[in-house]
Amino acid sequence: MTRGRVALLGLVIVATLAVAAAVAPLLPLGSPTEISKDHALRAPTAAEPFGRDDLGRSVLSRVIHAYRVSLGVAVSAALLALLVGGVLGLVAGYAEGIADQLIMRPLDVLMAFPAILLAIALMSVFGTGALLVSIALAIVYTPVVARVVRAAVVATKIEVYVDGARALGATAPRLLLTHIVPNAATPVLVQASVLMAIGILIEAALSFLGVGVRPPTPSLGLMLADGRGFMLQAPWMVVFPGLAIMLAVLGFNMLADGLRDWLDPQRPSR
Amino acid sequence: MASSWVYAARRLLLAVPLLLGMSVLIFGLMRLVPGDPALAVLGYKATPEGVRALRETFHLDEPIARQYVRWLAGAVHGDLGIDYRQNEPIGRMILDRLPITLELTVLATLAAALIGIPLGLLGGGRRGGAADRAALVLGLVGISIPDFWLGIMLILGIPLGLGVLPSGGFVPLGEGVLDNLQHLVLPALTLAISRAAVLGRLTRAAVLDVVQRGFVQFARAKGLGERAVLVRHVLPNAAIPIVTVLGLQAGYMLGGAIVVEMIFTLPGVGRMTLDAVLERNYPVVQSTVLVIGAMFMLVNLLTDILYGLIDPRVRRR
Repeated sequence: MTRGRVALLGLVIVATLAVAAAVAPLLPLGSPTEISKDHALRAPTAAEPFGRDDLGRSVLSRVIHAYRVSLGVAVSAALLALLVGGVLGLVAGYAEGIADQLIMRPLDVLMAFPAILLAIALMSVFGTGALLVSIALAIVYTPVVARVVRAAVVATKIEVYVDGARALGATAPRLLLTHIVPNAATPVLVQASVLMAIGILIEAALSFLGVGVRPPTPSLGLMLADGRGFMLQAPWMVVFPGLAIMLAVLGFNMLADGLRDWLDPQRPSR
Repeated sequence: MASSWVYAARRLLLAVPLLLGMSVLIFGLMRLVPGDPALAVLGYKATPEGVRALRETFHLDEPIARQYVRWLAGAVHGDLGIDYRQNEPIGRMILDRLPITLELTVLATLAAALIGIPLGLLGGGRRGGAADRAALVLGLVGISIPDFWLGIMLILGIPLGLGVLPSGGFVPLGEGVLDNLQHLVLPALTLAISRAAVLGRLTRAAVLDVVQRGFVQFARAKGLGERAVLVRHVLPNAAIPIVTVLGLQAGYMLGGAIVVEMIFTLPGVGRMTLDAVLERNYPVVQSTVLVIGAMFMLVNLLTDILYGLIDPRVRRR
């Protein structure tokens, strides 16, 4: 399979999941939150392919609805980090000197923690909720984005065409927007895709640990945490939410891999 | 050799401000918690006397800067204060649990190296072949598996399904090596799989990168066998990025240990951190996060220094 096709397949997976999540309430799935004791722990059937949970709720419906939180958190966290980290990286890379130090050294401190540990520490202060998870993830990502953007800016601004534009009298904002930002876009695009993959994993992990999304919002991590108690009677309660997380993460990782090789033909990994 | 010591010393010096920054961040973060920390720690057991005693013990009435200096001075001497719930010194509690987390991390790092590096060599050595394609798919799937789910699946399949290996708990190394290892096999594997996938992908890329170089083509041209080329010329050069990433992965496993220790009910520092977060026991959270963060930094620092030792080009920068 060529890398182009890997990227395309990744894109198809991500887009399909995103569309399904977006139109979830319109799909003929049944309610993700309606409790029906009569159906508790029903095994998968043709009509209910993922089975039902301990409260009789449809696992398929809950998985599709949970993607709303999963993808919503992953995408909004990445966008927020791109915005904040992008601006910080641009300024640090373009200005260098003291401004660079003032921006990058505090960000180094954030990067000095393992991502999941920093996210847990932030959530312990923030409390639970999907929006707070997005903000915590954006804080964890900001230094990563800032570093990538800064490196791209530092590499680009010494190019001859940037010198040329400057000699012709281009102002700093104009240089940044028309010459430097477009060249930083490639690594940032790949990074964004990787961050969304990691975001889905971390959101699920936080919710699984009880410091992420608050019940009864359907979340893949919360579903796994609930399902653990019924692992033997109802393995479908843990198998399908986990596969669902993996599929979304796989989609974003394939997209990132494909983009990386497509945009950088020098890399040897094709 | 002298230059590598200078390099190591410089890296060590740079670590000091970073560690200070980390302590400021953690301390500041825990002070952002809404409400009275004394009330949060005591929870429903709070009495006016209890709150007053706690405020005094933690010096909560002093200015924040002084509280910080007091905490830092204590931490430097290994005194992290008292856990109000367990009535035990926090430093002691961490020391009791640290060996478990460290053993788990070391075993998982070994497992990741033993699985990931051969996988990458297999792929990179015969690019485009069936083994390479299989390794690529495995790597992509491996980095996409949530480790906490993998842990649950392993428990479901092996202790509950096959009836072998314990599904949780811990036996200290001193009470029986075999028993100890049996309790750590599944947690270490859980932690290792996604890291092995990262390592496999990187090893493959590193091998492919080196194979293209002139000296490898020259070695082939002079009639050296494929195996000799791989062992004598490709591996030593590919080793540099591999060692770096292995070090980084070992550091990340310290964070991953939080999740794995929870699933396999291992009484390590990760588990202690999570319990403290869920109980809103902020003095403990603050200490364990600092300790895990400092260890993460130490592992990264050692990796950097090792990198400088095996690759003389790094030192000259």
